[in-house]
Amino acid sequence: MPLSLEIVTPDRRAYQGTADCVNLPTEMGSIGILPGHIPLTAVIAAGEVIVTLGGKVTRLAVDSGFVRIVSDKVSVVTEAAIDEAKIDLRAIEQAEERARVAVEAARGQKEIDPAEIAKMEQILRFAAVQRLVKGRTSQGLTD
Amino acid sequence: MPKGLREIRNRIKSVKSTGQITRAMQLVASSKMKRAQDAAKASRDYAELLGEILDTALSKAGEFSHPLLKKREVKTRGILLITPDKGMCGALNGNLTRVAFEIQGAAFVTIGRKGKQALARAGRTLLADFPVSDRANFSEVRPAAEFLIQAFLDGKVDTVEVLYAYFKNTLVQAPRVQRLLPADGLVQQARELRAKLGLPEPKIESDERDMIFEPSASHILNELPGLFFKQAVHQAVLESKASEHSSRMVAMKAATDNSKKIAAALSLEYNKARQAAITQEILELTAGASAQS
Repeated sequence: MPLSLEIVTPDRRAYQGTADCVNLPTEMGSIGILPGHIPLTAVIAAGEVIVTLGGKVTRLAVDSGFVRIVSDKVSVVTEAAIDEAKIDLRAIEQAEERARVAVEAARGQKEIDPAEIAKMEQILRFAAVQRLVKGRTSQGLTD
Repeated sequence: MPKGLREIRNRIKSVKSTGQITRAMQLVASSKMKRAQDAAKASRDYAELLGEILDTALSKAGEFSHPLLKKREVKTRGILLITPDKGMCGALNGNLTRVAFEIQGAAFVTIGRKGKQALARAGRTLLADFPVSDRANFSEVRPAAEFLIQAFLDGKVDTVEVLYAYFKNTLVQAPRVQRLLPADGLVQQARELRAKLGLPEPKIESDERDMIFEPSASHILNELPGLFFKQAVHQAVLESKASEHSSRMVAMKAATDNSKKIAAALSLEYNKARQAAITQEILELTAGASAQS
């Protein structure tokens, strides 16, 4: 029986479906999940989720979050997730630029809400992950 | 013109202009409603899954204590009342405040002007009020969540519950009291609510094997309750916004339809009265003419 996988972010369900194998980036390193995996709760680090279904590989960039695996159901909650095919490098650059400017501007002031800075840093982190995931696959194609 | 006629005409005019206003409000509400409903539905999964993960983790972690999980004797219930800022949204505000008034021995924190006013008028204990705009960003809600966590930790309140209008669909919004702190047994609670509202039961996976935690149970469980709580408060605000705009849209549509109906009835009355006046005049003329001849 294949795994069922859901990746949920505050905006949407980024992924919902079955998978033969799922690779997850955790704080302790990348782990591969196959059917019959022991129940697990882990902290997800920003990185790449690789979903294999019938020989087809889907890659998603995810931000930090949590994963729970119970009886072949893999549930990932994360701040942000995006399918590799939908990653738009131009948009990432713009987002990064905006966030960087905002973080720089905020650092100077004392009044600024630390949570706002954390949010901007999250955008930067997720942008870096997206670039990494995208870069890896496009290199694979040119080789 | 006879006096009756002018009165009717003025009433028609005022009913029609009221109808125009309610129609404009209906249109504004329906455009906001779409956005608010989407936002509430989109993040509902996230908040629920976070709650489920916390619940599974707690049930598998064995002995574990966290300040936000600690149960104690309930002397003061802490209620976060989330209401709209404005009225004109049907029975929504009334229903929420009625539920709020039924709760005895509670300290309130409010989001939304209507709730604040109602509680202040009734002389209930109001700890704080946090304004949140229509956009309901996470950053706007966070101060309220942090205030509540602090109040819970300081022992000012022994529970934290949210009272808000749960968004079921455009026509149905139900006031809901949901306990968030101490944060345990949450899934059971969610399940009861689903049953009450007649929503489908999600399949809960069970697995008897022991659970592993990476990096460690304490690491995960230290983070989760706080994150869950903030997310749940945000979700409640989003639900409440969706309910507010839906309810207002429906109420204003009813008002618009009603004004059309009244205007039609008044027009009929006006025409009848006008016709009666004309007939009367003709009768008087012919009577006068026949008297002269």
